Amino acid sequence: MSRFIARRLLLLPFVALGVTALIFSLLQLLTPAMRASLYITDPKQLNALPDIIRKYHLDQPVYVQYWEWLRQVLHGDLGWSETAREPVLTAIRGYFPATFELALYSFACILVLGIWLGTLSAVQKDKIVDHLSRSTSISGASLPTFVWGLVLLMVFYGHFGWFPPGRLGLDADLFVRSPQFHPYTGLLTIDALLNGQWWLLWDALRHLVLPVATLTYFITATLVRITRSSMLETLRADYVRTAEAKGLPRDVVVDKHARRNALIPVITLAGLLFVGLLSGVVITETVFNWPGIGRWGVTASQQLDIPAVTGFALIFAGMLVLGNLCADVLYAVVDPRIRLQ
Amino acid sequence: MSAVRVPSLVAPGAPTVPRVQPSAWQRTVRRFRRNPLSVLGLCIIVFFVAVALLAPLLAHPIERNPYMIPHQGYASDPRPPGPGHPLGTTEEQFDLYYGAVWGARSAFVVALTVVGAGIAVALTLGSLSGYYGGWIDEVVMRVTDIFLAFPGLILAVVIVAVLGQSARNAMIAIAVVAWPTYTRLLRAEFLRVRDMEYVQAARAMGVRDVFIIIRHVIPNTIYPIIILASLDMGGIVINFAALSFLGLGAPPGYADWGQLISLSHNWILGTAGDPFQYWYTLLVPGVAIFLFVLGWNLLGDAFQDIFDPRQRGSV
Amino acid sequence: MRMRPWSIRTAAAFTAAIVSLSLGALVARGAGEPVKNPDTFVELQFGDVTSLDPDLAYDIYSAEPIWPNVYETLIIYSGSSLDKFSPMLATEVPSLQNGLISKDGMTYTFPLRQGVRFHDGSVMTPDDVVYSFRRFLLQDQAGGPAWLLLSPLLGVDSTRDKQGKIQVTFDQVQRAVYAQGNSVVFHLKRPFAPFLTIMAAWGGVMPRKWAAAHNDWDGGAATWQKYNNPKTEDRYQFDHMNGTGPFMLEQWDRQNKEVILVRNDHYWRQPARLRRVIIRSVTELAARRLQLQQGDADLIVASLNEQSQLRGLPNTVMQTKLPQIAVQTLQFNFKINTDGNPDVGSGKLDGQGIPSDFFADIHVRRGFAYAFDYAQNLSSAYAGQGILPHGPIVQGLLGYDPSVPTYATSRDKAIAEFKEAQGGKLWDTGFKFTVPYTAGNTARQVGATILRDDVQALNPKFQLSFRPVPASALNEILFSHKGTMYFLGWFADYPDPHDFAQPFLSANGYFPVRGGYNNPEADRLIDQAVATADPAKRAAIYKQLSMIAYNDLPYLFLVQPTTYYTMRSWVHGWYYNPIFPGQYYYTLYKQ
Repeated sequence: MSRFIARRLLLLPFVALGVTALIFSLLQLLTPAMRASLYITDPKQLNALPDIIRKYHLDQPVYVQYWEWLRQVLHGDLGWSETAREPVLTAIRGYFPATFELALYSFACILVLGIWLGTLSAVQKDKIVDHLSRSTSISGASLPTFVWGLVLLMVFYGHFGWFPPGRLGLDADLFVRSPQFHPYTGLLTIDALLNGQWWLLWDALRHLVLPVATLTYFITATLVRITRSSMLETLRADYVRTAEAKGLPRDVVVDKHARRNALIPVITLAGLLFVGLLSGVVITETVFNWPGIGRWGVTASQQLDIPAVTGFALIFAGMLVLGNLCADVLYAVVDPRIRLQ
Repeated sequence: MSAVRVPSLVAPGAPTVPRVQPSAWQRTVRRFRRNPLSVLGLCIIVFFVAVALLAPLLAHPIERNPYMIPHQGYASDPRPPGPGHPLGTTEEQFDLYYGAVWGARSAFVVALTVVGAGIAVALTLGSLSGYYGGWIDEVVMRVTDIFLAFPGLILAVVIVAVLGQSARNAMIAIAVVAWPTYTRLLRAEFLRVRDMEYVQAARAMGVRDVFIIIRHVIPNTIYPIIILASLDMGGIVINFAALSFLGLGAPPGYADWGQLISLSHNWILGTAGDPFQYWYTLLVPGVAIFLFVLGWNLLGDAFQDIFDPRQRGSV
Repeated sequence: MRMRPWSIRTAAAFTAAIVSLSLGALVARGAGEPVKNPDTFVELQFGDVTSLDPDLAYDIYSAEPIWPNVYETLIIYSGSSLDKFSPMLATEVPSLQNGLISKDGMTYTFPLRQGVRFHDGSVMTPDDVVYSFRRFLLQDQAGGPAWLLLSPLLGVDSTRDKQGKIQVTFDQVQRAVYAQGNSVVFHLKRPFAPFLTIMAAWGGVMPRKWAAAHNDWDGGAATWQKYNNPKTEDRYQFDHMNGTGPFMLEQWDRQNKEVILVRNDHYWRQPARLRRVIIRSVTELAARRLQLQQGDADLIVASLNEQSQLRGLPNTVMQTKLPQIAVQTLQFNFKINTDGNPDVGSGKLDGQGIPSDFFADIHVRRGFAYAFDYAQNLSSAYAGQGILPHGPIVQGLLGYDPSVPTYATSRDKAIAEFKEAQGGKLWDTGFKFTVPYTAGNTARQVGATILRDDVQALNPKFQLSFRPVPASALNEILFSHKGTMYFLGWFADYPDPHDFAQPFLSANGYFPVRGGYNNPEADRLIDQAVATADPAKRAAIYKQLSMIAYNDLPYLFLVQPTTYYTMRSWVHGWYYNPIFPGQYYYTLYKQ
């Protein structure tokens, strides 16, 4: 087991290198003038371009620039992001908790809903309940996130005024900024609890409702499908049929035997799903003005903020490899049949 | 990106027990007909195929490039459905009916191109990787690892930002993000089939590798690809729409549902007196995308029910 | 067919949660109209602050918190006026009458106000003012605003030459800006009529000791070169502010994209009424609008084509038709770099492209000028919010003259000009090229559509298309002279005709450097106009320059757009000056 883990961890620097090299090679298609454009906002600053190119060494060959960047990273410095107006590492540290909080709550909802609906669908296969739940979940996957998000915003904020965009209301925002508030985790809901401020918790939750609803609706479909098919397969397995033939009622069979085994592939998938969530929040964050890493990532990419994009790539590669590793380990631990060499 | 890939969940090499049963085709049709959702999916897709094929008849092209939506004037406020514009117009007066009809065509073009490219790459790389194994396999796997380690939408954004905004570049970007999944899937299937008895027999008999791959391996591995592709068709259109929403997809005025939705997103709140005043700008392309993706999702699910080897053997 | 007991429980819990959440939210939401957060002002815009350093920031979003809210200048524009000044950190506005401007127009003396405190409590001295201006001149970050004062004071546009080597000496700077008792004296290189105008908008004052204590230049002769052309992140003033203004910086939260200002209770005048100001960047119009409607925002900024959605929102007021000292143009590139240029087609005059000197032909330019439908562009792309300009000197500037002729849309004249173009060959050969425009800029996209439709309607052999390009790509295109025709706008750095004449018509102005336009007569007149003190004489020269612009036709002047702000009706004390980059929060209050 430990050798397996070690081998997987060894992958990490390789993948990280590969991802960043991929980004850098894409950027080879850009001229120094285009890359220098990151630093100016108006064509009237164009005659500063040669100066800027000189200042940031943008006219050097790409591999030289990559090597410089690599050396910087090995010293713990991920560079400066023009789009975030702060060091890349600071920006990531600042944006990440917001996305993490959003992903966490969405993930919980997705898991609960997905597994419940999936199990229900499988047990009641081809009946009304099955069709209904499948229709709902498939509908969720069929609508572009931003459409659904905007409709939710329009109805629940524009019309009712219940759930505003952003992460905190004005008062809450000012309070969080003040010295009376101690940020322990960066997750506002948890921090509010730890600070004993119930109204703050309430405010944070209020702002979470719509983005979580948007994300949940969209991604639950996949989990329902997986759970359903996995459950179906398990229900067809010989030991289940034997148990039923022996006279055990369906519920008991499902509860005691089937679900545990059916959930195995779901667990593995859940890990991937979570990492996928972290990257899939881009559109949701844009629509709800959520100060997270997805929204920043897109802005940085659009403006070719190379230090930001490569730093971003690095962090993500790391998260993904670790996430995959956790999922695989969990899979191996939970399923005694699978033992990896 | 949207859907998450279904990993191969079952231990490979499960032997198939020969039984007396009705022909594969009859079984397929029967199972299909049993499920109303599958039938619905099929109907939707057939409808869209018809619209796409008949586009020049349904909406006569006026501009030099038929994918550019004609516009009457340049006024920025959308107009509601009325004479001359059966479904209304978007901002800058692009006709929604024309956009919806030709959007069906461009949706198919985009989805089929990306899926085609993905399958093409997967066939080459995946077959080499799965069939020969060894260091080829390692290299290909590491490369797919690298591509998969990066959030799909962000990678697509970077690619379009570098290449320039156009429908073609957006397709390239989505294809670049999509190919690793197809390759991995095909490789897994190749690995499974490679060890099967009849393939081993053919090899033992001295049949050439290429022949084996084409004649035996591919037809037996195609089903998961079909499932993946049909589930992906909708996802690709949604990703294309997302790129348009971010201003990186097709240029404004291009007949593409995602483009139409992105043109509508400023008008979703309507005006002061009437929040639903511009409902048609969102509803027309929204319903089109929704039905298209829904159709493919249902169809993909149906294919999965039918072709899934785990469920093939049961009654 | 029984439902799982646990699933029923889960469903019930879920529903209960949603219901209680909604009910709670309903209760929490206030009813109706009383002023929300009466001492906090929230403005929502959609641009990014690049830096809070008054000597490095050059865009309006950065400038808004800087001036005149946190940092102040020596003099400022009186109210909404563009040519009358009031003293600010100086006690008098220099003029010939009070002798604070020397007779030869080369020396300006500003007597300083006493007892003004900076935000850190220290008292403002002439040393601080001198330091601030020298810093403005010598930091000179590439792409920054230093050239605005470098030009009149030192006669150069940059402290560095084309190879990047320093070309000014500290000595020159010392003689250009220095303290004299309680005053600060500026010594110009040559008479420069707009000097006061520039001084009223640029040159925020900060304390020298504070800067020196935070890794910045100490004002000394020996060290300034080390601080020249810094990287944005190298300066403490990038995200820390210490000025004399009515507000202080509390925090610049880059994650939430907001700048938070708090009232300066030791302001040298009556303190502001607002206790706190939040300027936040929100890209989605929907979010901006909804927050305004809910009263969570007090003022929002939006583009012209979004105006119709904001009209008539309950409890809001829209200030429209606010004049701007700006102009939108469509420019010709006289000498196109056809190497690897995707926009010029074949690169030859064969009907499938355009040659490098295509637009150097006056008949071609006139053809486009007569073909373009300016009225349609104004009404569609700019929602009719603006006026048609009469050349580069726009309304609000000295020398603006509505009698300067313009090219009125005329199909016949366009055809006639095109028939004469390229020695008469163009009409039969045709052309084909692409116009790149800034992606996401709807106004320019509409303009490009109008251009294409108008031109293609004249002759089927005329093929024009357009493509959106991101800002970085457009910059590259312009930088390498690959543009064919392109949309560019110009916003005033300061409200003086020189700030328009020079960039448009001078051989080394911004636009001619891109497009290759060159007229020595224009250069001569520009130099003459900027050195003349008498406004009437200057106006006459600028009229001549406008005529040159009309005859030479290097650009199509499309629109002088107006702007608008939408705010809650409880906002009072608001006034507008076109040169302000944003709101002046000092006079605002909510009631």
